[in-house]
Amino acid sequence: MKINRTVEITWHVIFMATVIVLVFPIIYAVGMSFTPLEDAYNNVLNIIPLHPTLENYITFFDTLPVVKVTMNTFIIASVATVFKVLTSFLAAYAFVYFQFKGKEVLYFLLISTIFIPFTVTMIPNYLIVSDLGLLDSVWGVILPQLADAIGIFLITQSMRSIPISLIEVARLDNLGHGRIMKDIVLPLVRPAITSVGIWFFISSWNEFVWPVLILKTTENYTLPLALQMYISSEGGTNFTVAMAVSVITMIIPLLLYLTFQKYIIGTFTSSGIK
Amino acid sequence: MSALAAVRKTLHLNRENAIGYGLLIPSIIIFAVFTFWPFLYTVYLSFFDWNMISPEKEFVGIRNYMEVLGDPRTYQIFGNTFLYIVILLAINCVVPYIFAFVIDIVLKRWNGFYKSALFLPAFISLVVGSILFTWILNPVSGPLAIVFGWIGLEIPNWTKSEGWVILVLSLITSWKVFGYNFILLYASINGISREIIESARLDNVPLWRIFFQIILPMSSATGIYVFILTIVQSLQYVFTPVKVVTQGGPDYASSNLIYHAYHEAFVVYRTGHSATLSIITMALFLILLFLYFKFVDRGIYYEN
Amino acid sequence: MKEIKFEHVKKSYGDTEVVKDLNFTIKEGERLILLGPSGCGKSTTLRMIAGLEDITEGSLYMNGKKMNDVPSGKRNVAMVFQNYALYPHMTVKQNIIYGLRVRKLFKKDIQSRLDSVLDMLQLRGLEDRLPKDLSGGQRQRVALARATVKRSDFFLLDEPLSNLDAQLRVSARKELLKIHEMFKQTMVYVTHDQIEAMTFADRIALMYDGELQMLDTPTNVYHRPANVFTAKFIGTPPTNILEMDDHNGFVTIGEQSLELNDMWRKHIAERKTQNLLFGIRPEHIELSTTPFSNGFQGKVKYIENQGNSYSVYMDLEGKEVVALSENKHWHKGDIVYFRPMMERIHLFEKETGDSIGYPEELLDENDKNKEESRVLV
Repeated sequence: MKINRTVEITWHVIFMATVIVLVFPIIYAVGMSFTPLEDAYNNVLNIIPLHPTLENYITFFDTLPVVKVTMNTFIIASVATVFKVLTSFLAAYAFVYFQFKGKEVLYFLLISTIFIPFTVTMIPNYLIVSDLGLLDSVWGVILPQLADAIGIFLITQSMRSIPISLIEVARLDNLGHGRIMKDIVLPLVRPAITSVGIWFFISSWNEFVWPVLILKTTENYTLPLALQMYISSEGGTNFTVAMAVSVITMIIPLLLYLTFQKYIIGTFTSSGIK
Repeated sequence: MSALAAVRKTLHLNRENAIGYGLLIPSIIIFAVFTFWPFLYTVYLSFFDWNMISPEKEFVGIRNYMEVLGDPRTYQIFGNTFLYIVILLAINCVVPYIFAFVIDIVLKRWNGFYKSALFLPAFISLVVGSILFTWILNPVSGPLAIVFGWIGLEIPNWTKSEGWVILVLSLITSWKVFGYNFILLYASINGISREIIESARLDNVPLWRIFFQIILPMSSATGIYVFILTIVQSLQYVFTPVKVVTQGGPDYASSNLIYHAYHEAFVVYRTGHSATLSIITMALFLILLFLYFKFVDRGIYYEN
Repeated sequence: MKEIKFEHVKKSYGDTEVVKDLNFTIKEGERLILLGPSGCGKSTTLRMIAGLEDITEGSLYMNGKKMNDVPSGKRNVAMVFQNYALYPHMTVKQNIIYGLRVRKLFKKDIQSRLDSVLDMLQLRGLEDRLPKDLSGGQRQRVALARATVKRSDFFLLDEPLSNLDAQLRVSARKELLKIHEMFKQTMVYVTHDQIEAMTFADRIALMYDGELQMLDTPTNVYHRPANVFTAKFIGTPPTNILEMDDHNGFVTIGEQSLELNDMWRKHIAERKTQNLLFGIRPEHIELSTTPFSNGFQGKVKYIENQGNSYSVYMDLEGKEVVALSENKHWHKGDIVYFRPMMERIHLFEKETGDSIGYPEELLDENDKNKEESRVLV
C-alpha cells in the first residue's frame, strides 16, 4: 500500500520538530559555554557566541580541581562497568546453560530488583557505606550501584538467542565451560556486552542521586555534582560556567554514543524484550 | 559430613550444578548486601522512631504508618505522584508508541537519523538537562519566553505555581527518557512479521486500524514492560530535576513519593517516616510488578 | 566392537514418555536410518547416543561399554545438526579444525586431515569465508567436513539434508556415501524422508510414538512390513488397508469377495487367526475396464497426476482404495475393475496391527526382491 504523501510529510515535520526539541538544547549549551555571562543575559537567542571566550572554562578550572573531578567520575564509571559486565555475564551464563534447583526463583528475584525504587534501599545502604568508612569516597559511590540487574537481563536475552546446537557441538568436542565461554559464547554476545557496557558506563557517569548523598568535599565530586554547584535555586546565576561544565560532562557520553550508536541501537532493538 | 551430604542432596549438588551456583555467587552477594538486606532493614526501620544519629532506636509499632497516612501532606504527595505518572505515561509511553509505529511503517527516509537523534539525550546527564531547560524555560528572560513574546504568548512562572511545576519537571525528565522507551518499542514493532502487516495493507486496512488491531496486541509484552518501566524508573529520574530545580517546592507542590522519602530521611532526619513512605511506594510498585510477571513474563523468560 | 546397543532405554520429560523401552543394536560400520514422523522420538534417540539427553531408564552401550553417565565429549561421537550449527564467528577452516585444536593434535596431522576433507567435499578456496557468506549447500558440506575430520567411531546425523533443495540432496547423499566408504564409521542418521531412508540405509529403524516399529533392510521394510503402521508409512500413496471378513479363504469387503489362493489359505489356517486387515499397495493393483474373474468392482472418485503415473482413487463399497496406473484414460465416475496381485498382499491382525507373516512360497521370492532392489516409492 502506498502511504499518502501528505501524511508522510506531516509526520516528517512532527519528527523534525521533536528532534529539534530534543537536540537543540545540546547545541545551545555548547554555544553558551563559549559566551560571556553578560552576552548570555542580553542576547539569549544567540546560539553562536558574539564574543567567543574561554572564560567560563577558565572559571571552572579555577574554582575546582577539574582533572581530579573528571578522574573521579571516570574511575567510578569504569570500575562499576567492568565489575557489572563481568558479574552479569557470569550470572547470565549460569542462567542460560545450567540447570540447578531454584534457578527460576533466583532469576525472578534478581530481575524484580529492576522495579524496586531506590528509596527502599537508600537509608540502609547509606548506613552500610558509612559503617565501612566509605563516606565521601569513590568506593562509597561504586559499591551500591553494582546491584543492577538490567545487565543480567539483557545479556541473558542475548545468550538465549544463540542456537543451543552450537553449544552441543562444543560439548561433543569435549570442551569445558571455560573454553565454551571464551571461544564461543563471548564472541557471539560481544555486541550485547559492548552496548550494555557503554550503557552502564554512561549511567554511572551521569549518576547524580547517590553521589549527592555520599560525596561531601568538592575534591571528591563527580562531574554532575560539580555542575550542580554553579546553579542556585533561583535558576542560573552562573549559567555560562554551568554550560562549560555541562559540555565537559557531555563530551565522553556523546563520543561513545556517536561511535557505537549502530551497536547500541542494534542491541536494544534485537536482544531487548520481545 | 552427613550434613554436607544432605545439603548436596537437596540442592542436587553435582559438579555441573555446583559450577552454576558458583557463577552466580558474585551477583548473589552483591544483591544480598545492597538490595535484599537493605530492603528488609527498611521494613524494620519503618517500625522505629530514629534520627539516623542517635544510638537508640525507639520501637513505635505501626505509629509511623498511622502518622504518615494521617498526614494531609502525604495525600498531597500521592496526588502529585499520580499526576507525574499520568504525564510521564502520556509523553513516554503513548507518544513513543505512535512514533515507533510511524517510523517503522509510514516513514521511508531518514529513519536511521531519527532513531539516533531521538535516542541521543538518553546518554546525557539529567543535571545538564535540568539546568538547560530551567534557563530556556525561564518565564522572564529565557529564549523561549522571548520567542513567545513576539507572538503575544506568556510562559507561566512554573517554578512557583502548582501544577505547572509538575508538568515542566515531567517534560524535562521526558527529554531523557523518551528516546530509550522509543527504541524499546520500535524494537518490538519492528520484530512483528512483515507478512502480517503487508497482508493487512493488501486488504487496504487503514493505518490507525493496523496500529490498534495488529501492532498494539502483537507488541503488548514490550508495551506493558515500557508502561511499568515508565512508572517505576521515570519517577526516580524525576528526582534529579526536583532536587536541582525546586527541592520539592513550592510548598511540596513538586514533591513525589520518591523525593519525599529522600527529604524525610536526609533533610529532616525522620528515618521512620522515610522508611514507611518507601514501603508504601514499594507496595504500590509490587502491584505493578505482579501485573508484569503475570502478563508479560509468561513465555518470555522460561522459554527453555 | 563399534556397535551401539539399547537395553530397555526410556526417556521421559516429566510425565510424558518420549521414548518407550527401546531394545535394539546398531551394528558396527552400518548405516542405520532412524525414520519416522515428527515427534516419534527419533531425534531424542539420536541425542541420547550423543549424550545430549539424559537416559531416564535402561542402559545404552557403545563399544561394549555402558555410556549412560559418560559425557558427550568422551563418547567418540561426531554429529551433524539439522541447522549445521556452524560457529558464525569462525571461518570455514577454523570451524573445521576447532575441535582438533582443542584435542591438541599435532599441527601436521591437523593440516593433513583438513587438506583431505577440503578436497573430498570440494571446499577448496572457501577456507577463509565466514558461514554467512556461504550458500546452503556449502554450509552443509562444512558441517559434514567438521564432523568428518574428527574421525570418530560414531557418526550421527540429525536431518542433515532437510534444509537443501532436491538436487543438492542427491549430491549430498553421494558425498555422505563417500565419507562412509572411506572411514566405515557406524552411522546413525535421523530423517523423516522415506526416499532418503530407502536410498541410503543399510537398515531402517522405523519409529512411531516412542516405539520401534520395525528394524530391517529397506527392501523388507517395503515388501514385508511388520505392522500396519510400517505398511502405511512407507510408500506413496500409502498402502490401502481395508477391513475384511474372512470366510473360508474369501476376503469379503462389503458385498464383494475375493478368493485367496491356496498358499494364503494354508497360511491363514496355520496361523488360526481371525479378524484380519487386508493390505495392498497401490502399485500392486491391476486395473481394467472389463471384469476380472477374481476381483473387485469400484467407481473412480478422482485422479492425481504423479508425473510418471496416475493415482486412481476409487470407491469400493464406501471405502477408498487407491491404485497406480500408467494409463490416463480413467475419468471420474467410471466403473473400474481391479485385482490385487495375490503374491503382493499383506494381512494384519486387526487387534494388534501386526503382520501375520507370509506364506513360505513367498519367502523365496523375498530374496529375489532383495536382489531386484527396485523400490517404488
